Amino acid sequence: MKRTILSFAVMIIVILLVSFLLIAMVGSDIPTSLASFFRGIGGSTCAMAEVLVRATPLMLAALGVSVGFRTGFLNIGAEGQLYLGAISITWLGMTFPTLPAPLMLVLSLVLGFLSGGLWALIPGFLKAKFGLSEVINTIMLNYIAINLVGILVRTSLKDPTYPYPMSPMLPASTNFLQLLSPTRLHAGLLLALVCAALVYLLMFRTTLGFCMRAVGLNARACQCSGIAVSKYVIISSLISGGLSGLAGVSEIAGLHHRLIEGISPSYGYLAIIVSLLGRNNPVGIVFASLGIAALQVGSMSMQRSSGVPTSIASIIMGLVVIMILSRKSLFRCKEA
Amino acid sequence: MELVVLSSFLAATVRMAAPIALAALGETISEKAGVSNIGVEAIMLSGAYFSFWAMFQSGNVYVAVFAGILGGAGASLIHAFLSLRCKADQTIAGLALNFLFLGLTSFLFLMQFGKTTTLPSITVLKPVALPLLSNIPIIGEALFAQDPFVYVLYLMVILLMVFFYKTEWGVILHAVGEAPRAADTAGIKVHAVRYLACTANGVLGGLGGAYLTLVKLGFFQENLTGGKGYIALVAVILGRRNPLGVLIAALVIGSAEALQIRLQTLGSTIPSQAFSMLPYVVTVLVLMLSMGKGHDPAALGLPYERDKR
Repeated sequence: MKRTILSFAVMIIVILLVSFLLIAMVGSDIPTSLASFFRGIGGSTCAMAEVLVRATPLMLAALGVSVGFRTGFLNIGAEGQLYLGAISITWLGMTFPTLPAPLMLVLSLVLGFLSGGLWALIPGFLKAKFGLSEVINTIMLNYIAINLVGILVRTSLKDPTYPYPMSPMLPASTNFLQLLSPTRLHAGLLLALVCAALVYLLMFRTTLGFCMRAVGLNARACQCSGIAVSKYVIISSLISGGLSGLAGVSEIAGLHHRLIEGISPSYGYLAIIVSLLGRNNPVGIVFASLGIAALQVGSMSMQRSSGVPTSIASIIMGLVVIMILSRKSLFRCKEA
Repeated sequence: MELVVLSSFLAATVRMAAPIALAALGETISEKAGVSNIGVEAIMLSGAYFSFWAMFQSGNVYVAVFAGILGGAGASLIHAFLSLRCKADQTIAGLALNFLFLGLTSFLFLMQFGKTTTLPSITVLKPVALPLLSNIPIIGEALFAQDPFVYVLYLMVILLMVFFYKTEWGVILHAVGEAPRAADTAGIKVHAVRYLACTANGVLGGLGGAYLTLVKLGFFQENLTGGKGYIALVAVILGRRNPLGVLIAALVIGSAEALQIRLQTLGSTIPSQAFSMLPYVVTVLVLMLSMGKGHDPAALGLPYERDKR
């Protein structure tokens, strides 16, 4: 226990020292930079809303990743699944622009969940039935999805009136409710919180969740005691991808209102870090996504006013994960 | 006329393939020893940045290449430390590495050059035509009138073919990746071999990254590799971890890229993404088709713990 506390204390000190060092290296004043960092995340309603806006897709995708991780399905493909969700709502809005808003909402969520889920089902099925590594397959599917978006916004989903590769503005019926005008906060956050509650119930309060976690802990023992391992891996991949698909829906419906390339600045990969930080636990993920979002938003503010490059956020995230991975071994922690 | 076009197309293919092939050969060594590193992207980025930096500071290409190698090896050894010493999940470790080096290289670059308005550049390496060989019609120009990195690549393919399949060391490397416990029982130092394999991965990946700045571009920018590290993983699988296979896979991927650029200049209406997508689609298909043949080293991605059964 002592060692655990010590290890976390050392981690925090190292992160702070590295951040100070990096800020000093670019010749910026440390107190001013930190002040602008905190002003960026909490200085105004707008700033706080911006953190929540960024946390929304991270939360949804990370919830998806965590469901996969718990079942032993290492889903690196949240990025691609997110884009599939975004494609699905764009297609829906462009094909049936006259649907009433409530129906549109339900359809876009169902369709987004299914398209993200089916995208993840491919590597899930290949892993469950044929033992193929999901890591490589999910990475490949990320690139395929990103290129697919590139093709679609230049061809069938393109706005013919603009020369740029993007879809037309979607009908207002697809839009999520704006929560706190004039900030960019939208109902996607509520969706993410509801999903967090649902994932908690699913994983810790149902037989299905119990079996999925059991498969993740020891697939061989499950096989021996008659739990159909491959079935649960497949279900888990579907749910995992579905939640990331919802992240894509939420980004389009709440924020962009049209499909463009690069709507996700690596949210799918960040989600893996969020899930790791949140220990694959829905409550942990809610807080971890807020933390990572705050780190990013704050570093952007720091770049604007103190000239510290935003890449500092990426360095710190990489460092945090490396320290988490090495912590137990370096400090000889004996916790489970 | 057509021959000239074909020849320049082939030459472009080789230039596209070289960095991918170098990094993929490194990853092949690492995976054969049982360490799967999806952080090739980080290794290449590190190699690209540090070689650019050294070239800019010293103007000496040997120093630059050495710096690129060190940068790549450093990145790879962080991953090796996490995977071997800390027995961490190798995929997560690779991912963390990618974030760390994406941030680190951009940060260092902006710190040094961010305040200048002109893009800092270095003179790129000139091609060296090999006598006689470069006179072979069509392929001579493409294969043997390239820069020294490409010749290093050819040499590496040959050396690794011999090393993997004709030497005792190759057997040891395979043993460590297939059956680490048996290798340990036979007196092989499993972790030492794995650390060496990871270092080799870093050296070759660093060279691949250095190629991008020292030969191809002559400048550095944020996220310069833009996914080439992941493409290298594709080449490893398509080439089935055979050095010659990896080279051929990289050439096929390189030709897709070269074709895409050619079509764009010709004003084709097909979105270029359709071509960029191909290698990934092919990889998934190849993985599906080669199902159940068990090509992966048996201990790939698994930490070896001596005191556990």
